[in-house]
Amino acid sequence: MTNAQHPTSAPDAKAEVRRAVASLKENAPDAGSTTSDLSIDEELNLHSIGWEPVQLVSGLSVFSTPAGLWNWGQGEIVAAGEAHEQAFKYAIKRIHGEAAMAGGHGVVGVHVERRVYSTHIEISLLGTAVRPVGAKAVDASAVFVSDLSARDFTMLMVAGWQPLGLATGASFVYAPRRTVGTVLQQQSQNVELKNFTEAMYSARETAMERMQSDALALKGSGVVEVKLVEGPMSFATHAVGFAVWGTVVRLAKDSHQLVRPTMVVSLNDVEEAFDPSALA
Amino acid sequence: MTPPSDLPEAAERRLSAGAFSSGLSVSDFAACLELGLEPVGLVQGFCAMQQGVYSMMGLSRGLSPYGGSQGGYVQNYQCPHGMIAGEHRMWGQNYQQTWVESAWNEGFTSSYSRMLEEATELGAHGVVGVVDTVSRLTDANVTEFHMSGTAVKVLDTPAAASTPWSTYLAGQRLAKVFEAGYVPVSIVASVSSIRVWASCVTEYLMEGMGMWSNSTSPTEIEQIVTAMSQARFMVRTSARDQLHGDALHGADLQLSEREFEKGDLEVEAVLRGNRIRRYKGFDPLPVPKPTVRLS
Repeated sequence: MTNAQHPTSAPDAKAEVRRAVASLKENAPDAGSTTSDLSIDEELNLHSIGWEPVQLVSGLSVFSTPAGLWNWGQGEIVAAGEAHEQAFKYAIKRIHGEAAMAGGHGVVGVHVERRVYSTHIEISLLGTAVRPVGAKAVDASAVFVSDLSARDFTMLMVAGWQPLGLATGASFVYAPRRTVGTVLQQQSQNVELKNFTEAMYSARETAMERMQSDALALKGSGVVEVKLVEGPMSFATHAVGFAVWGTVVRLAKDSHQLVRPTMVVSLNDVEEAFDPSALA
Repeated sequence: MTPPSDLPEAAERRLSAGAFSSGLSVSDFAACLELGLEPVGLVQGFCAMQQGVYSMMGLSRGLSPYGGSQGGYVQNYQCPHGMIAGEHRMWGQNYQQTWVESAWNEGFTSSYSRMLEEATELGAHGVVGVVDTVSRLTDANVTEFHMSGTAVKVLDTPAAASTPWSTYLAGQRLAKVFEAGYVPVSIVASVSSIRVWASCVTEYLMEGMGMWSNSTSPTEIEQIVTAMSQARFMVRTSARDQLHGDALHGADLQLSEREFEKGDLEVEAVLRGNRIRRYKGFDPLPVPKPTVRLS
């Protein structure tokens, strides 16, 4: 997104900098300190729709999984799926609580860090609580948690939609071992390992269904920016995992507001990024 | 603040010479000139800190949890099994390693003030594009703090009379900060360090032996969650305490964990960012328009 009416190099930039630096002699304004991990572009994006950052907030959880869970069995590894789900839910609850306490109306740009070990699963969330400029705290139930960047959040709001929360789903499934006879028989063939393919499909269906249930529980109409992690784990050669998460959204206005992108044809020579003669 | 006499004689000679040096890229250099910021020198500060061992608690598990911390956050965990055995962890503890934090803070602050000292020597108003690195200097417990940045003078402005301002930003990103109505005040960094001595329950859960912790289903590992949450909370609180009403922008939180044995962890969090101050109200901004670039 660009802001054509506000070029970054205003003609009086030098005077503005002098004025800004001179103001450092005065004391800081008597307002509460805010913290955020947003870039200045993201903050300007937020401001353009009347929102501002409040505090950096986090939430995490670590859930144990029984040892020996991963290698022998059939069907879904239920305990691992449960541990993943609970860890996500607790982490979301905690970041949500921090945001509500800081007076935020929501959290944007949530970074999701997810680690799956053989004995425990760790979920860590970090984001910036935001609110409409100067707005008072709202009821905690109205505070949303979203992994959309501030830029995407701005775009979503402009299009008439609102984020409601994070939806997640995960499933871990055993890929049944082949018999020794089958292994030997298939050793010299190009052959699909149906045990793995079917395990992947099974894990995918369960995880997606769980994420969809989360979205429906939040009364959302869809999930955007879905992130997907799938595959085997280094410590479990006969199991596959599938995890998804994304932001649940709902139409906030009567209808979708069409945001028509403007075509831009750059006249700059791509090769020439900097012209030293411009400094003269 | 490090006394001015800290500056090596050779540095004073070099800084008084005519040519300037700068760590800025060419485009950042151009953007600085456009803002009326004239680079006057690449300034640096170093500090090598040895982190002392506070007590034997840092090396091996003691007989009791009491006395392991030196002020700061402490939380104890008791064994629910009522067993007394040499290999059974009858207690667990989370404690803030205040001496680790204080070594880090001293190293960071010393290298920072030494960098500012060089900037002051050059008559600079500020330091832009600060880069700070914290790395192990040797195999021993020695950490090197290295800070560098480009000292700048604000053109057509009286000579600097106070400590130079500083920021991790440079070039277009710095220009946008000014344009958004903010002025950089200083870089901000904070650290928190928590040591976890696992209790028996934590150890069993981290080993996946939930049945020994009276749980057969997935269970939250409370001691570890508390330690990690506390590290994140303390590092943010410490950074906020340095703001004095200003805002922290572009925060970067780095987390690290070191596991010694199952559940015995050291959790460290480092938060860096730019302290900025609003000097004018926001101009009304139009809603950004999405564009499709054809090239």
